[in-house]
Amino acid sequence: MSGVEVRGLRKSFRKHEVLKGIDLDIAPGEVVGLIGPNGAGKTTLMSCLLGYLHPNGGTITIDGRANDDLDIRRRTGFVPERMNFDRGVNGRAFLRYMARLAEISRDDVDARVDAMMTRLGIAHAAQKKLSTYSRGMLQRVGMCQALIHEPKFLFLDEPTSGLDPNGVLLVRDLINEQKERGAAVLLNSHQLAEVEKVCDRVLFLSGGVISHRETLRSDVSIPIAITLLAGTYDEASIAEIAGTAPRDNIVITVVTKEDEIADLVRRIVASGAGVIGVRRHTTDLENIFRGGK
Amino acid sequence: MTVGESLPDARHPLPGDRSESSSSGNGHRASGNAFLVVIAETWRRNVVNVAFIVYVVLIGLIAVGSGSFSGSGSAMQPLLVLLTLIIGCRIIGPEFSSGTLQLILAKPINRSTYLLSRVAGTLVSVWTALLFVAVCNLIGRAISDRPLRVETLLLTMLNIMADTLLVVALLALFGSLTRSYLNVAIYVVLLVGCNAGQGVFGMLRMARPAIAKTLSFIPKILVFIDDNLFAGAPIDHFDRDFLLLAASNALIALAAACFAFRRREVPYGAD
Repeated sequence: MSGVEVRGLRKSFRKHEVLKGIDLDIAPGEVVGLIGPNGAGKTTLMSCLLGYLHPNGGTITIDGRANDDLDIRRRTGFVPERMNFDRGVNGRAFLRYMARLAEISRDDVDARVDAMMTRLGIAHAAQKKLSTYSRGMLQRVGMCQALIHEPKFLFLDEPTSGLDPNGVLLVRDLINEQKERGAAVLLNSHQLAEVEKVCDRVLFLSGGVISHRETLRSDVSIPIAITLLAGTYDEASIAEIAGTAPRDNIVITVVTKEDEIADLVRRIVASGAGVIGVRRHTTDLENIFRGGK
Repeated sequence: MTVGESLPDARHPLPGDRSESSSSGNGHRASGNAFLVVIAETWRRNVVNVAFIVYVVLIGLIAVGSGSFSGSGSAMQPLLVLLTLIIGCRIIGPEFSSGTLQLILAKPINRSTYLLSRVAGTLVSVWTALLFVAVCNLIGRAISDRPLRVETLLLTMLNIMADTLLVVALLALFGSLTRSYLNVAIYVVLLVGCNAGQGVFGMLRMARPAIAKTLSFIPKILVFIDDNLFAGAPIDHFDRDFLLLAASNALIALAAACFAFRRREVPYGAD
């Protein structure tokens, strides 16, 4: 299959089992968020996917091939949580080296490095040594080296860590661009608001297993919340029309097309109910996170 | 402006199967490019390093002044071996700890290729310094009107090249097994330990002959390590045994380093 496919992944360090059978799919053009408390195994999972760690069991395939296949790596981008790389070189030289290793031709490399540094807002520091870069700038360098070869598979570990609000918005835009380009993206982040904004699905990793899966965006279903005026509706009628009964004057249901929203509201109003508001329903990741902890 | 719109086309013809275990011709071609890129970058970073330049210039000045590059009691060889230790200790171990290695291993380069290209880049750097020092020595001899046979100079250079090859191979092996700068620590401990151990055992043999007899295998091991890993290059003559020993032991060390590095786990954020 195309995309990332993980089945029954297990990883132990001595007797401590960190991953206890992870199943995971990321389709092309999909952004999947990975959340969970510290020590849940998120970084271990990411390390296994990238081939840094050898799993004790299970399979990892990317586009139907092994994850350490060089052709897969050629189409893979990775942003680590901490940018601790060689600080003695300047930003441009570092990115040129990374670009050449990513097999960008000698003729193209300068243009691509300059374009990426401009895009990420660090062109002014191109000739400065990485040791003089702030944490946010290093994070931008990390994004540059990961995106410079337009990867099909992108693994991001806390990419907004240390970034200012402009940087956070920029990373969000970049992730959306990768999604539109058809890249499969795995985003490991503690920034739940960011995960909500960019991810199609969220996996909650806890105790070495994926304890919760949540679809935030889908091409085939649109979750909506309709707020009703208290005392104006009959619960049974609403349940019959919407498929679910209201709770606290709110009906949460799913439609398959946006056109169906107006039709559904019209039928609810026709039943005599007062409708105060209609909005797209988003999952409360914070509650899931708290519950999972 | 999107990344896709703003950048030149990143797509290249797919070079076919280039898996880690692949031995296809295309795979070698792609790895070959990465091999040269890493060698060039390693060399570039070394030769633009101020400390490297200062050190090499100092050795060069000594070579000009003494003119003893290829004479008995030459200081050139140990100074160049020291240079090899200084720049060779950066192979793998420190990169693992800094996080650079993890970024590089996410790129399409297999581990053995990367390790060998780092070794080659380090050797090219050291041999660049060697060439510079040899030229300085020739200049020094020309100034002081002391003749030197080119054959002698070339043999000395060959011996030093073999010696530094073995040192870098050992540092790569130790670096592939450890973190940070432990590779050079292991090298120095082995170097000093073998000699000191033999001395200590000699004293033990005099003080406690019975215990020394029981432990007689220890000095044999120390001598074996010393002879094989730290043989020391002859100064100015052709020594086929030394060259074969250095080359074969370097090859064994590099093969072991590749084997260990391919199986090594390199979690990021480990340090």
